Amino acid sequence: MKLLVCIKQVPDLESRFKPNSEGVWYNETDLAFRMNEYDEYAVEQAVQLREKMGDGCELTVLSIGPDRVVEAIKKSLAMGCDNAVHVQDSAASSKDPWQIASIISAYAKDKGFDVIFTGMQSQDRGSAQVGVTVAEQLGIACTTTVVGFVYDNGTITARRELEGGIKAAVKLNTPALVTCQLGLNIPRYPTLPNIMKAKKKEIVAIPVADLLNEAPLAATTSFHPPAKKGGGIVLEGDVGELVDKVIAILKDKTAVLR
Amino acid sequence: MNFELSQDHKVLQSAVRDFVEKEIKPIAIKIDEDHMIPDALVVKMAEMGFLGSYFPEEYGGAGLDMLSYAIVVEEVSKACGSSGVLISAHTSLCSGPIYTFGTEEQKKKWLPALNTGEKIGCFMLTEPNAGSDAGGTMTMYRREGDEYVINGSKTFITNGGYLGTAVLFASHDRSLKHKGISAFIVDLQSPGVTILKNENKMGIRGSYTTAFALDDLRIPAENLLGVEGKGFNVAMDTLNGGRIGIASQALGIAEGAFERALAYSKERKQFDQAICEFQAIQFKLADMWTSIETSKLLTYRAACLKDAKKSYTMESAMCKMHASETATFVTKEAMQIHGGYGYIADYEVERMYRDAKITEIYEGTNEVQRVVISKLLLS
Repeated sequence: MKLLVCIKQVPDLESRFKPNSEGVWYNETDLAFRMNEYDEYAVEQAVQLREKMGDGCELTVLSIGPDRVVEAIKKSLAMGCDNAVHVQDSAASSKDPWQIASIISAYAKDKGFDVIFTGMQSQDRGSAQVGVTVAEQLGIACTTTVVGFVYDNGTITARRELEGGIKAAVKLNTPALVTCQLGLNIPRYPTLPNIMKAKKKEIVAIPVADLLNEAPLAATTSFHPPAKKGGGIVLEGDVGELVDKVIAILKDKTAVLR
Repeated sequence: MNFELSQDHKVLQSAVRDFVEKEIKPIAIKIDEDHMIPDALVVKMAEMGFLGSYFPEEYGGAGLDMLSYAIVVEEVSKACGSSGVLISAHTSLCSGPIYTFGTEEQKKKWLPALNTGEKIGCFMLTEPNAGSDAGGTMTMYRREGDEYVINGSKTFITNGGYLGTAVLFASHDRSLKHKGISAFIVDLQSPGVTILKNENKMGIRGSYTTAFALDDLRIPAENLLGVEGKGFNVAMDTLNGGRIGIASQALGIAEGAFERALAYSKERKQFDQAICEFQAIQFKLADMWTSIETSKLLTYRAACLKDAKKSYTMESAMCKMHASETATFVTKEAMQIHGGYGYIADYEVERMYRDAKITEIYEGTNEVQRVVISKLLLS
């Protein structure tokens, strides 16, 4: 059995983001990066399946990006992935979801993966398109926002999270792709002995040019923080006056007094 | 020169950080209040490999290096100085000398249980009348057939309360001073070992600091560690390495206090502005951070020198001295920045202030560190 988990490295979301010089994405200088949260659920689920299937099973982790993404790859290896693919791309952040999916599909198309795991979406771009697009490009089954996962003899039974806390059960035959959501599992900590073992695992580097033949379909044209909100209005005067002013504002700015 | 951590060390740092954030930080106040690190946490830290980071896998260790160990102690101590010193004393003061001076048989016998946390290690050197002057050791041993018989008392033994494994120092002839001292590996579950008390302390209250009476403690002759009469060298070499652990603990305590002080200075408003807008606070933050960064550079460098098997005696003395003084300085300033709230336990900086002080004292007082450094400068 062959498994693939696709991960992305994203900035710490508590960082202060500034636009880059082209104004189409954030400036990466001084940002601390970590594995995309949803991808951690994907790695954990993939490792659990890998452990359940035993020796005949092989789990590969793939990430696209500059050298820093190797850190996230190494974490996945320490969590239990067997080997890794680093698609080297110093301009990954400027690629649209279609291109990113195309890179993954180009790598995966002749490898015969039985199950592919991805996060539900990335915490920075948040398109939630890459996983489903990979499935479409590979022509395999797919289900999203998975919060429960059982594999048995070529069939995946997945629990999906819908709006308003409603869940749905989905059965799909492998090969299949699932996108993983918060609540699926609790990702394990990489232990020190496993970090050591991970050092001996293979990371194959592939230049992105070897895998990418697609032009973007939706290029980001601008990146900007939300407009600053006004500082609020301070009213002064006697009580009667204040009430009149408040009523005027409520009539003008809101629907409550119309 | 490269001042960046390797990717492997960054992976480790972030893994330890995640663990500490979820498993230790939420209970750090309770550890201090209860004077106890919960057994469940000790087990979890052992499962993470924190108790055998730099020993080879064949002895049950994680097989990493001294820098990894320093990072583990630092990150743990950011949240809890007690847990930091548990790891430090266990690793560098007990497993360390067994790994460095032990025979292959001794390593195979004692290290796996230490590295997996089944036994917690301690270092039994200090006595009521032999602190900095270890040559004044009064605990005596004599040979009887295939055994050594040990009598005396030991005090201020970090981790002693776990009654795990100890590296113990005793003399066979007090008149020989340090040349009469030998080192032994001791199972503290043996008859003749009595805990007199676990001390009630100002800080690192979750960590055991134990006083022992040793009354006809019999240990097999094979438990002699290193060469008979060379125990003082074992102790000094061990403390050299141990200082990197204490420097890391002190560094972590300082960083933990700084993080809180920085955040608080941005939140707290007085005279209609955040207090970090006042230069009085800004200058404190600048001084605190500079001390932390210099401590970190010294500590990581000492660890890297040990990894490279180069001489590191002066560097370990310098990092221990500087990081511990940074810890007391930074925690004191962090409390000052917090004002009255800093004195309240919920804000945690008062605990860090209490935890910091011991780092200037144990594993060689800072006065001893200055002796070590100046002796090497003048030799």
